[in-house]
Amino acid sequence: MSPLAVLEGVTYAYPGSPRPALEGVSLAIEPGSLVLAAGPSASGKSTLLRLFNGLVPQFHGGRISGSARVAGLDPFAAPARRMALEVGMVFQEPEAQTIAETVQEEIVFGMEQQGIAPAEMRRRLERLLAELGIEHLRRRRLSTLSGGERQRVAIAAVLALEPRLLVLDEPTSQLDGDGAEAVIGALEGLRRRGDLAIIVAEHRLERLLPRADAVIAVEAGRAALLPPGEAAAVLRSVPPAVELARRLGLRPLPLALAAAAAALRGRDLAAAPRPLPAPGAELLRADGLTVRYGAAEALRGVTVTLREGEVVALVGPNGSGKSTLFRALAGLVQPAAGAVRFGGAPAPRGPRERTARAGLVPQDPALALYQESVAAELAETLRHRGLPRGRAEIEAAAQAWTIDGLLDRDPRDLSVGQQQRVAIAAMLAHGPRTWLMDEPTRGMDGPAKAWLAARLREHAAAGGAAIVATHDIEAAAQFATRVIGLRAGEIAFDLPAARAFAADGPLPTQVAQLVPGAVTLEEVAIPCAA
Amino acid sequence: MHPASWVGWVLAVMVAALATTNPFYLAVILLAVVLVAVLAPREGPGVISFRALAVFGVVMFALSLGIAAINGSYGDHILFTIPGPEVPRWLGGLRLGGPVSAEGLAGAAIRGLAILCILFAYGVFNGAVSPHRVLRSTPAALFQASLVVTVGLTLLPSSVEDLRRVREMRALRGAPGGWRELPALVVPAIVGGLERSLRLAEAMEARGYGASPPLALAPRLAAAASAPLLIAAAWLWFYETGWRPLAALLAFAAAALLWWWWRAASRARAVSRFDREPLPAAERAGLLVAAASALGLLALRLTGRGALTYNPFAGLPLPGFEPLPALLAAALAWPAVLLIARPAPARGAAERDSRLAAEPAP
Repeated sequence: MSPLAVLEGVTYAYPGSPRPALEGVSLAIEPGSLVLAAGPSASGKSTLLRLFNGLVPQFHGGRISGSARVAGLDPFAAPARRMALEVGMVFQEPEAQTIAETVQEEIVFGMEQQGIAPAEMRRRLERLLAELGIEHLRRRRLSTLSGGERQRVAIAAVLALEPRLLVLDEPTSQLDGDGAEAVIGALEGLRRRGDLAIIVAEHRLERLLPRADAVIAVEAGRAALLPPGEAAAVLRSVPPAVELARRLGLRPLPLALAAAAAALRGRDLAAAPRPLPAPGAELLRADGLTVRYGAAEALRGVTVTLREGEVVALVGPNGSGKSTLFRALAGLVQPAAGAVRFGGAPAPRGPRERTARAGLVPQDPALALYQESVAAELAETLRHRGLPRGRAEIEAAAQAWTIDGLLDRDPRDLSVGQQQRVAIAAMLAHGPRTWLMDEPTRGMDGPAKAWLAARLREHAAAGGAAIVATHDIEAAAQFATRVIGLRAGEIAFDLPAARAFAADGPLPTQVAQLVPGAVTLEEVAIPCAA
Repeated sequence: MHPASWVGWVLAVMVAALATTNPFYLAVILLAVVLVAVLAPREGPGVISFRALAVFGVVMFALSLGIAAINGSYGDHILFTIPGPEVPRWLGGLRLGGPVSAEGLAGAAIRGLAILCILFAYGVFNGAVSPHRVLRSTPAALFQASLVVTVGLTLLPSSVEDLRRVREMRALRGAPGGWRELPALVVPAIVGGLERSLRLAEAMEARGYGASPPLALAPRLAAAASAPLLIAAAWLWFYETGWRPLAALLAFAAAALLWWWWRAASRARAVSRFDREPLPAAERAGLLVAAASALGLLALRLTGRGALTYNPFAGLPLPGFEPLPALLAAALAWPAVLLIARPAPARGAAERDSRLAAEPAP
């Protein structure tokens, strides 16, 4: 079979950028294949995906060389309206890719613009609603849908034009755990659908890596199309089960958890649990917090304590009250019942005073960056907190967050990952003892999560404490000492990390299912022979 | 009601309110609008709420009276005198304070009434029809323009939400709030809004409805030429009364050119409609009533009949009142008849469901 899409020697640089974003990329995509594009943030994944429908270079401009052929068309020259019939593209942000009012109108809109007959539109609409499991949403307004539902609507809307290639640029990075699972489930369903080829860029490789036909490994502007087994050996970040097999030197590499378990059978791997700092004095205590929004109870009598040296992972499905708990702790909402105490004394009332001692990092903190340099952002927080803000203090704060190399850069020129780090540092630059973080791992790649885990451990070792809401179990296992599960506004469980992440616990990690007694890779004693 | 009916109604109210300065007729128009406003459905949140527009209209009304008072006014019926400074003559005859005449107040009130009619009518339209529904029934020739508007409306709520979140984050960083905080609030919200609109533009480009191929040169020239033709026609009609036949000819030529552009623009983009909202016979009749009312009042005004103009400064006479213009003004309440006869179904959902079911499954 001849390939559906071919790139040959493509080198591309964005307008005004001296360094190419992609260099000498050559690869071929077969019809009907599921291809995973993997690599760290800012490695050129998004740029690569945009070659396939000509957004690069037609929409973005810039200098390009090399050639491309997609479904018999030249994407660098064919009009967008024509390319849309062959290549469907779904983007990261659910809010910024739909324009109609209701689900049905959104799916139909593209077909109307292409002048497709109404009877055919109806046939495709009914089939897509069923295929993506969004039949029940047909008449809902898009603004009332969750992120995961909106992403599935976006997929249905581009598939309505019956493209031969579906390209998805990190479709789950802005979603919570449940939404991401639903979108990946929908993708798995589409894989068995005729000769539709799918290229998906993702950080969550656990489910897609074993199912992919090929992997595009992207690193610093270079890209190579590899079979999944070979890619697993060279990718920088892989699921923990694959990483464990990699460290043990297993060949061929198992790609799924079950395969890894089979490969490890008979090997006696010892566990060496991570020593945790002993909890010290109580820093924060919430007593029977109840929060109501109108008639709905978002929190019901929640009691939480936090001691020095503790890092609590707060988990729970969407709408279980995680954000509300943070808002109540930071004084952004007043609880209907219950009280918050800091170090044994009643907490001050307003958010400004409370966050001086228990700093809250809300979701997407990069939104608040507005100064012209990273140093000015840090200085601003210090100024508002009435702290000295000389060059020495700013450098000390930057060093604590390992962003000292970025001090003179403009936050808007940084990569998304760097922006996240700067924003978190800016929210906590005044050095509060307690950190409250709402979904900091959302949209983070492997290295960024490792960075966050290192900061949290340092903070706990120095006698600080933190509560971190997250959907990412593997990331939470890197830093948590305790896990609190929320469900429908109540505490479902409150366990030490070793028990919560254990194979028989509520949130087993991949490593825990392979090596009894260990939770993360570093707790597995790798035999020296390997 | 169909979006086209609402558009027709708003246009008719606008023309009627601007065609007359007679307070009696304006009051009749206002009553008609208020009657429709009471009966009109509220389809979810409009872009600007009816209440906000109504308040804005009333404030404008009060303001126009207030300015008339401060500015002082000419006329024989002096009600009271506001003390004010003597403004030097070289400032162009500006007056502050001074005598307030009944004529001045009446003139301001009449202007205010016309504004109130238009604002209320727009408020009803805004609440009754979501912009997305208007976009769907927009003729293909105007598609690009209305797409731009709809995208803007799509982004507005998220920008407001951004502003709220940035404010909250500022508080979490210990910022004191207040006016000096404004740049820190607005700059991130605007930058965020711009970035989001770029991403939306990219997504739309990828889905093939970013931009249609440009129209051929000839129809674009025709559209451009129609404007000076229309201006010339109007000038001849009003100032060179001997040339009126030529003026009519020019206006006709301009209309023909516009029609040609419209057809070319409609064909440049072949679109189909999944479920076109039909325009029921009753609403077609309603649109005829709207056209008759607006054109009738306009014709009466141009021919100087029906006591449509009223000048309070001519000694504050009693405005005239004739049955024909009053009837035409009252006819603007026609949507009320439709709305009473058929209480609006919730977003036409039930109706469309039945249409979906009626067709055999493929």
